[in-house]
Amino acid sequence: MPPAEQRTGSIYDLGYRRYDGLRLGRQHAVLSLYFYTLRGAFGIGRRASSKIIPIVITVIAFLPALIQLGVAAIVSDEVDVIRPENYFGFVQVPVALFCAAIAPEITGRDMRQRTLSLYFSRALERRDYALAKLAAFATALMVLTLAPQALLLVGNGLASKDLADYVGDNWKDMPRTIISGVGIAAAMGAVALAIAAQTARRAYATIAVVAWFLVTWPISGILVTEVGGAGRAAALLSPFDFVYGATLWVFDVEPDRDSVQDLAEIPLWAYGAAVAAYAAAGTALVIRRFGRIAA
Amino acid sequence: MALIETQQLTKRYGETVLALNGLDLVVEPGITGLVGANGAGKSTLIKILLGLLEPTSGDATVLGYDIAREGPVLRQYVGYMPEHDCLPGDVSATEFVAHMAQINGLPRAAARERTAETLRHVGLFEERYREMRGYSTGMKQRVKLAQALVHDPRVLFLDEPTNGLDPAGRDEMLDLVRRTGAEFGISIIMASHLLGEIERVCEYLVVIDGGHLLQQGPLGDFTAAMGVLAVEVEGEAAVLAANLRERGLRVEVEGRMVLVALEGDERAFDLIRDSCADLGFGLVRLERRRQNLEDLFRPTGRGTAHAAS
Repeated sequence: MPPAEQRTGSIYDLGYRRYDGLRLGRQHAVLSLYFYTLRGAFGIGRRASSKIIPIVITVIAFLPALIQLGVAAIVSDEVDVIRPENYFGFVQVPVALFCAAIAPEITGRDMRQRTLSLYFSRALERRDYALAKLAAFATALMVLTLAPQALLLVGNGLASKDLADYVGDNWKDMPRTIISGVGIAAAMGAVALAIAAQTARRAYATIAVVAWFLVTWPISGILVTEVGGAGRAAALLSPFDFVYGATLWVFDVEPDRDSVQDLAEIPLWAYGAAVAAYAAAGTALVIRRFGRIAA
Repeated sequence: MALIETQQLTKRYGETVLALNGLDLVVEPGITGLVGANGAGKSTLIKILLGLLEPTSGDATVLGYDIAREGPVLRQYVGYMPEHDCLPGDVSATEFVAHMAQINGLPRAAARERTAETLRHVGLFEERYREMRGYSTGMKQRVKLAQALVHDPRVLFLDEPTNGLDPAGRDEMLDLVRRTGAEFGISIIMASHLLGEIERVCEYLVVIDGGHLLQQGPLGDFTAAMGVLAVEVEGEAAVLAANLRERGLRVEVEGRMVLVALEGDERAFDLIRDSCADLGFGLVRLERRRQNLEDLFRPTGRGTAHAAS
């Protein structure tokens, strides 16, 4: 280490060396971007202020699970266990918040700071970049949709009299829970990212994502409950409604009386198809956007 | 194998702007300066070679790889330092450069190690653990160079690397670029509109103008062919200049001096002598100017406007 007074403004030759080691290429580049983006979504490796929002939202997603486990631990063993499909009904809200707050960061950062040209001049293609970002964001959302339920399953299992019995009774819910959790993350995540990717400005992107959630919601409600007829198809417009419909379909549960899904009288599988269609459309839009953007 | 080869490379923006116009170019390994006025097509050429822009038509290879079909493989061996800002403010240089190394295919451990070495090489020490938003322009330029070098590229594209630097920072950056090319055998393509910088660093020169190749060759060829003779006479400089122009010389007036381009031959000396004798001017001084590239380009580019004013 050179003495401090010499260090300012001078360049030292401490030996640049050539590198003859492994070059793992495109696949490694994509994986690295995926993990870097996933860490960034929760503010890991960033300043403390970048961690606050994602962590608060994540905690919100865990709250029902924590409360139920806490109550079960304090009171007796006769507590109503939260049904997975009901948990998904709740967790949509923190997922939407996460989309609005974090999706603009996932896509907008590199546009704003013009880091895209550094990525696109490296060992990946534009499409790889888009897919890595999408996958990382969907994974971050799955932390919200799936991790609380995993905690609940383990916690309730441990609290029950017989762990093996509990698992035996509940294992059928597991694939359904996973399918539902992945579907919510993929559909909401892909569309939110597609919206956010249209602008580098963070505030605009957040507003646009919020608008997708909040403007479609009353429209769907009014068209389904007040207008009826062909207007009932509007249940497929609002992310909250179609995602919940898909969850009901996956768990094979009848919608509550007078809920949007009940009044719309659309077959429940249509909501599942909508989730797949939204996820595919969002993905295509994100790929298209990053395929064309100037870098 | 040539470092870079382009065939009829063309880039059109919209209907009207032709940034590259059927460029045919062969660049050999070494340190090459890419010279041209702003808007000559330097950045466009670099971006096409990196795969950041798609050419409208034409082909190119870098390191023997086809830029259209073998982009990701090629770009493992390419480094790029853009002209513009490109650093996120909320991460440290260490974190960012290591990430960039991995995006170029380096395994995690190697990326960390190379990051530390490369940041030292460019002269960044404890600051490298701080968020980059607090960096000075000079430090940011160093990080930009480091991220282009961290994966040990075989060819480095530098787009105006001294942008925004003060004279001392400029000297250091140019020295760093020169040493990186000369001592480590990394081929460098350095775009600049400042000929003085190119002259200090580069071995070869490629001059593009209006999207096509104007001239190309070793730097020595250019400096030999571009002597400038400064002539001072007792008499009107403008009159002498007019007289010399009639004799077919490229001439410019600079204050009391008449600048004459020496185009490879010694004919000009005789013509100046004859001219002074005919006009009856006393020849006070006849000196060869330090030969630099600005002098070469002045008569064709800025010089015409200059002389007219």
